[in-house]
Amino acid sequence: MMQEFLQNYVYLIGSMSLIGIGLYITLTDENIFKIIVGLNIIESGTNLFMVAIAWYPKAVMPIYTLTNKLSINGKVIAADPLPQSLVLTAIVIGLGTTALALTIGIKIFEKYGTLDVRKIKEAGR
Amino acid sequence: MRNDTPILVKKITALSLITILMVGFFWAFTEMPKGSSVNVNNRVSRLYILKNVKAATKSLNSGNFFAKGMKPLRSDVPYSPITFGKSANLEDGAANVVTSIVVDYRGFDTLGEVTVLFLAATGVAMLFFGKRKKNIIKAQASLIMSVGTRIAYAVILLFGIYIFVHGHLTPGGGFPGGAVIASGVLGLFLGNDHYESNHLGLKLFESLSGMAFVIIGLTGLFSVNSFLANFLPTGVIGDLYSAGFIALIYIAIGMKVGAELSAVVDSMIVDTEEEWS
Repeated sequence: MMQEFLQNYVYLIGSMSLIGIGLYITLTDENIFKIIVGLNIIESGTNLFMVAIAWYPKAVMPIYTLTNKLSINGKVIAADPLPQSLVLTAIVIGLGTTALALTIGIKIFEKYGTLDVRKIKEAGR
Repeated sequence: MRNDTPILVKKITALSLITILMVGFFWAFTEMPKGSSVNVNNRVSRLYILKNVKAATKSLNSGNFFAKGMKPLRSDVPYSPITFGKSANLEDGAANVVTSIVVDYRGFDTLGEVTVLFLAATGVAMLFFGKRKKNIIKAQASLIMSVGTRIAYAVILLFGIYIFVHGHLTPGGGFPGGAVIASGVLGLFLGNDHYESNHLGLKLFESLSGMAFVIIGLTGLFSVNSFLANFLPTGVIGDLYSAGFIALIYIAIGMKVGAELSAVVDSMIVDTEEEWS
């Protein structure tokens, strides 16, 4: 029972909790940098979700080594490598977009003198 | 939501939105296959792991792949079992299957990814252009810090090079290797006052390694008639000199990402006097 729960649901619950926490921060916070942190948490949750659906119980890592056999009699026993490679792409792009977002946040602070989105909206009027 | 909405109403609205989203997600999970019933043998990834995509494409083109009952993957696709250190001249010689997908089967995807990272780094450099660095140092780096970061930089650089040279054998590759190298450069910035990086050198290094990636792809186009095709012998699986052009491309990516992230660190480190709210 416990093992089945852990194998089937714990990764999904974890990743969805991360996405929920990030969404809550993004919706309610007013500091621009905290909003960027919230977006990063959403991204981590998405990556965790994609890695979690690539794995299944008793799967081995998808790397050929001396002791690690990926297939036995033509049946593959390794984890799915395709979502893992997509996550590799997503992490790098997340890094780039985060750097750009932080830079734009610094530029906003230089122009308006505050990081509060409400005050920025009022100053823009 | 208006600006004068009370904070409590805002929070309650956000919580209810998230609750609806979570309920939807978990309702979708009940329709998904459970982790214990997933079978990779029914997925496309099986062909990546067995390094047999070419045979599957051949039988797909000859029309006997989607034969009776539209089975997406037949279990009798011919394959030869792969043994580490013995199997030679495979379709893709990388021991790390994730690397073989990222660089070989989906190399065009990786080219787009490198382009996105290049655009992000260029945007950061453009937005910070002309920002003069103030020469007010708040905290002086101690002697231990400045000597230690220089010693650590050599070790970290070597480790980063190790990671991206062995990308086709071990976990890692060009992107983590480049990030490791950039962390070493960050240490140099923290440990030495008035440290100035060679901006022209970084730009040149980055552009040349990006061009190397495209040139390797074009070599494949002219020799094997496909962009980013593997034009080198794949060798024995598990050797350092195996997997054809994967090691070359990962060296190019590693140098490019290292230079790019170092440039980002360089433009982001500024000593400011303002208090940040």
